[in-house]
Amino acid sequence: MKHGGVTKFSLQNLLGPIIVLILLTHFVGGASTSLQLVTQMALCLFVMVLALQVFVGNSGVLSFGHGAFALIGSYVSAMLTAPVNIKDNALSMNQLWEPLVSPQVNIYVALVISAAVSGLIAAITGIFLMRLNGLAAGIATFALLGVAYNVFFNNKKIGPGSQALPGVPLIENNWILLLLAVLSLIIVYFINISRIGRTLRATREDAMAAPALGISIFKVRLIAFIISGAVAGLAGGMYSHVAGTFQVQDYYLEFTFITLSMLIVGGSASIWGALVGTFLITAVGQVLLMMEQDLPVFGIQIQIPLGSRAVIIALTFVAVLLWRSGGITNGKEFRIPKLKKIS
Amino acid sequence: MVQSILDAISLGGLYSLAALGLGLVFGVMRLVNFAHAELITIAAYTLVLTAQFPLAVSLIFTVIVTVFVALLMEFSVYRRLRGVNPAIMLIASFGLSTVLQRVYELMFGALPRSAVVAPFLRGDFKVAGLSITISSIITIVLTIVILLAMGYLIEKTSLGLQLRAASADFKTARLLGVRSNRLISAAFGLSGVLAACVALILVIQNPQISPYYGLNITILSLVGIVIGGIASLRGAALGGFIVGVVLSSLNTLLGNGRVYAYSWLFILVLVILLVRPGGLLSKGSELERV
Repeated sequence: MKHGGVTKFSLQNLLGPIIVLILLTHFVGGASTSLQLVTQMALCLFVMVLALQVFVGNSGVLSFGHGAFALIGSYVSAMLTAPVNIKDNALSMNQLWEPLVSPQVNIYVALVISAAVSGLIAAITGIFLMRLNGLAAGIATFALLGVAYNVFFNNKKIGPGSQALPGVPLIENNWILLLLAVLSLIIVYFINISRIGRTLRATREDAMAAPALGISIFKVRLIAFIISGAVAGLAGGMYSHVAGTFQVQDYYLEFTFITLSMLIVGGSASIWGALVGTFLITAVGQVLLMMEQDLPVFGIQIQIPLGSRAVIIALTFVAVLLWRSGGITNGKEFRIPKLKKIS
Repeated sequence: MVQSILDAISLGGLYSLAALGLGLVFGVMRLVNFAHAELITIAAYTLVLTAQFPLAVSLIFTVIVTVFVALLMEFSVYRRLRGVNPAIMLIASFGLSTVLQRVYELMFGALPRSAVVAPFLRGDFKVAGLSITISSIITIVLTIVILLAMGYLIEKTSLGLQLRAASADFKTARLLGVRSNRLISAAFGLSGVLAACVALILVIQNPQISPYYGLNITILSLVGIVIGGIASLRGAALGGFIVGVVLSSLNTLLGNGRVYAYSWLFILVLVILLVRPGGLLSKGSELERV
């Protein structure tokens, strides 16, 4: 996790990932209906991994709490856009709190609100959480996720509780999701090369030298935490509009581990790493799923036993860490590969 | 009332055993071994699947299997990650945990397996008109015995001395002649034995074993070792005990609000961490470079 991270603006660092995203959305997302859904999910997860990158990658502090921000973002966006009659019917037996039933806004307004609310909650909780270091910080952020999950799962006055809220309007257009992902990527890129990003990486490299140079660890971490919380909220909101439902269980342990794995496997110090990790794990998962169902992959038909998919994904993940503990990209940003001179 | 207090103490003891297993490994290699959950799970499976044999045979077999899996983790994955950033090791242990969960699912099926283990330890008896479950007494007795044995091992034996030395300063301990590979293997082996003990107590209370059986207790024990003070084994055991006692008491005290017990527990954890970031038993504040 140490070392790496860009400080100077470079067009290829920024445009490379954007072009790769456009190509993936165009070719994979347009190939078939099932691949379209996979691509849409991957774009949402990519925004989530970007959110993790800006905080975890730059500060070196593991956060297990970002699932809480995605949960809140998803909840806000779903509750603001689901049709009133669905909220009324599906939730009437759960005594949903009256003022929550009627509000209705446009999807995009809802997404902005969900990012804002998640950012606000990150700000309030960050004031406490960002005072901690190391493992204590990791466990404290986990406690945040634990509280959010526990409250939303059990309280039926504020939401669907353990059930799903159906009828959340879909964003069917791949390009709108792509636009949101690219927007998040640009924001995260400029934060990474800004003063905030650089000072935050300084605190990651040396938690004693950085304060000696006049950096307030608390302040830079808090700012990054708020931005990252807001982006995670956006990711959660997008996810609810791709899945068409909101369900608390979608944002708990499995979600936390899979998104953190994507970041670490790709290489946590760069947005290129976030992209490689997200799409590689998604692609491996999809290929194995097709193998399990005995469907041809690129014209080759290999069948693997049911249930072995998850084992292979997790094994690949461990193997990547054994092979390269800095992740596949080793924290480097995108560069056009140079041909080696033959001497 | 008496039963509630006994339940709280027995749950605390159980969590402190799990926390001790995690703390041992953390002490020697700064690894938060999330896959400890899968050691507890495999021990529970072995106990249930060998339930037709006498308890002693089944127990010995369980310890052997669990220690084997613990050593397998160390040799196949963690040995290759020595000296890597602790955050990467933690993430790798999540990966390993997932691998093992899925392997268990393939081997034993996703549906819970169950069998009656040690039927004479169930039921309750009466003391002075109060009805008390046997399992809570057994849990407390077992925990005390194991904690005393661990205390003896750590305070009085050469291995214990090496473990403490390595926890305090691994590099210096190596320079003074502690063999790191052997010590780390020993720590993993011991954590396997502790996982088997935890599994025995858990199985007596709940013999429905699924691939995720050990997950809950491991997460809560992790929380426990952090609030107790991760730097020392005493801190780990104390933290685990506190989490167990608090959770059990909350379940009793909150009545209908007990679904929110976890929220209150986590809020308490946050408060403790804010007051004492290094844990309850920490000496002063040291900056940890993670």
